[in-house]
Amino acid sequence: MKERTIWEQIADSFRSRSIWMLHYCTGCGAMELPPTMTARFDMERFGIAPMATPRQADILLITGYLNTKTLRRVIYTYEQMADPKYVIGFGSCTINGGIYFDSYSTINRLDYYIPVDVYIAGCMPRPEAILEAFNYLMEKIRKGEADGWKRYRENYDWYKQNQIRSLGEVYVHDEFHE
Amino acid sequence: MTNSMSNLVKILESFNPFVEEIDEKEIKITVSPDKVVAVLETLKANGYSHLSLMTCVDWIDDNQLELVYILFSWEDGGKFLVSTRIDRSNPKFVTVKELWPVARFYEREIHEFFGVEFEGNDDMKPLFLELWDERPPLRKDFDPRDYSRKKFPDREYEKDVIKEAKIFRGEING
Repeated sequence: MKERTIWEQIADSFRSRSIWMLHYCTGCGAMELPPTMTARFDMERFGIAPMATPRQADILLITGYLNTKTLRRVIYTYEQMADPKYVIGFGSCTINGGIYFDSYSTINRLDYYIPVDVYIAGCMPRPEAILEAFNYLMEKIRKGEADGWKRYRENYDWYKQNQIRSLGEVYVHDEFHE
Repeated sequence: MTNSMSNLVKILESFNPFVEEIDEKEIKITVSPDKVVAVLETLKANGYSHLSLMTCVDWIDDNQLELVYILFSWEDGGKFLVSTRIDRSNPKFVTVKELWPVARFYEREIHEFFGVEFEGNDDMKPLFLELWDERPPLRKDFDPRDYSRKKFPDREYEKDVIKEAKIFRGEING
């Protein structure tokens, strides 16, 4: 890994303390976010706040299984986000397909299509696990290890080829995109 | 079978149906494909005006597809399951969108997942799947696991047998 300059280290340190999260609620895992966000677990005390648009968000939180239709939107969303950006794969379905491993429409591993910085195992993970993952991600950002967005840029061809292999075409044909 | 339902079954006897009582308030009638629309019209005129569901079952051994219309009555809370079997190799049926406009979407869905053509319903755009390139996925001869293996690569795990044995013996915590 490349040595970071002092300014980059400072920037990373600040970045890790103010993370805006775009939660792409694809599956049942989204159910665990309301308690994480609200008074009981209150993730804002870690400086993490939900954000409505991809262009202003730092984390893309993928909660649950992804099928081919949603994966196209996820790739769109991910590519819209400004650098630096981080991805958290939530639940066992993003790791290996979970209980949908043999489905004709759900993908089996997320990091084959977009780089993932942190995975949270479980079906589904508790809010404590989400906060643990956020803390771990913040630690990684501070150390400069959360470099998924750099890997995506460097290995763009590999990711693109995988996306096309599974999806056929990444371009979305619907009334919102044409 | 409630009184009003048995009266209705009597009215429907002219269509030569096979009547099956599933439940006190649930009756399944199986008719031949050419009589389905007439049966549905009769039921709709007699209070069964709500199309709860329209679905399809694949009977691969008989080489048939079964179409099921579930009608609900808001008057006595009863349900009629109108079912018919069509040929599986060239599945074609008539649309019922004139009776229930919502049937358009059920027919689109059945077209997408079972490959049934509905004559009279022109809008057969896929509802759920995008860029589907295989046979309709809910047919019994479609193997989803095979498709998934071909299209979506699995994560490869390295199996550490020694560690597993140690966990099994209780030497280390798993």
